[in-house]
Amino acid sequence: MPKISVTIDDKKLDVDVGKTILEVCKENGIEILTMCHLKGLTDVGACRLCLVEIEGVNKLLSACTTKIAANMIIRTKTEKIKRYQRITSELFFAERNHVCSVCVANGKCDLQKLGYKTEMNHIRYPYLFPECNVDTSHPWYVLDHNRCIMCTRCVRACGEVEGAHNWNVMNRGYQVRIISDFDTPWGESVTCTSCGKCVHACPTGAIWPKAIVQGQLEKKPEIIGELVEKRKMNL
Amino acid sequence: MSKKKIATVWLGGCSGCHMSLLDIDERILDVAKLADIVKCPIVDGKELPEVDIVLVEGSVTSDEHLREILHIRKQAKALVALGDCAVTSNITGMRNYFDLKEVFDTAYVNAVSNDKEGSVPDHPELLKLRDKVVPLQEVVKVDFVIPGCPPDADTIFYVLFEFLNDRIPNLSEVKKLRYG
Repeated sequence: MPKISVTIDDKKLDVDVGKTILEVCKENGIEILTMCHLKGLTDVGACRLCLVEIEGVNKLLSACTTKIAANMIIRTKTEKIKRYQRITSELFFAERNHVCSVCVANGKCDLQKLGYKTEMNHIRYPYLFPECNVDTSHPWYVLDHNRCIMCTRCVRACGEVEGAHNWNVMNRGYQVRIISDFDTPWGESVTCTSCGKCVHACPTGAIWPKAIVQGQLEKKPEIIGELVEKRKMNL
Repeated sequence: MSKKKIATVWLGGCSGCHMSLLDIDERILDVAKLADIVKCPIVDGKELPEVDIVLVEGSVTSDEHLREILHIRKQAKALVALGDCAVTSNITGMRNYFDLKEVFDTAYVNAVSNDKEGSVPDHPELLKLRDKVVPLQEVVKVDFVIPGCPPDADTIFYVLFEFLNDRIPNLSEVKKLRYG
């Protein structure tokens, strides 16, 4: 495969063409914050956490959806990026009702970890306090819109890996919601196979199994990527 | 060096943060060497005197809390928001999704434990709940925040000890940042 040379954080690298900036960074041990990225799923650039600065481009671009090109000079840890990442994590918390102390995912949550990484100690924006439903109609799982950050990992895991496409996205802006089928209760879904992939793909306490209590939530998002890899094998 | 004055205040919270503060155990003696604790929720109801550091637990849920926090801001050199309720409104803020009337009716009129018809208490001596619960930084300038529900005793002691030794604590540097 032809190689191109790029510079990331003042490090010169020779990398394969056709890869995204995020893939290149991961391969070379350069840490980039992500929420909506999950190995095995198509990247959509929803969370805006993986923003990077590219010399000559006057706006920040998401590393997960931008393909690497020859002679790019990329910076991933500037003060501007760190500031934006903190703003983004604060807006996640302000947009819905993330009450960590009563959340089933407390201590095991990617959103909490993101807050620690961006050194978010308080939220500078007014909370929206939207009224959100909790769908408990499925016999095994719960969908809690209060904790959802609209990363759409569940939507993509269901559509791309399971092939059921039970999940979808409704409305826009702050009214945006994940829906099951045509906005009907999850328990009544005719497409859901109850496989549980969305449960593992969800980075927060928005989708979780009923059979657990707070502090015992164990999610394995890496199974999605493993499944995809296994299917590529020619057995 | 003269001794500093510190105080702790309990607004709209569950007192869990104060319990966690008490969990610093014998290290309270180290604090006592450097400071006098001039007010806390178990002393009598005098107004807060001038202090160097005040730890405020809980969010602003009523007119009385608002009056109190405005007074505290005038009296304290450093105001520390202690715990998730003070910093993010946390569980106390969960009533913000509802109308205040709905909240009162749920608690007093339609409560399942009511023997007969209930009514909302309405005595002039009672505090008046505000429409929405807000964290401290929405009404006053906060100098330092310790999130957590409750924050670890170690974290509280670390912050207190740094302030008492005229240093600015940094929670993210010592990996003590925590919510929930």
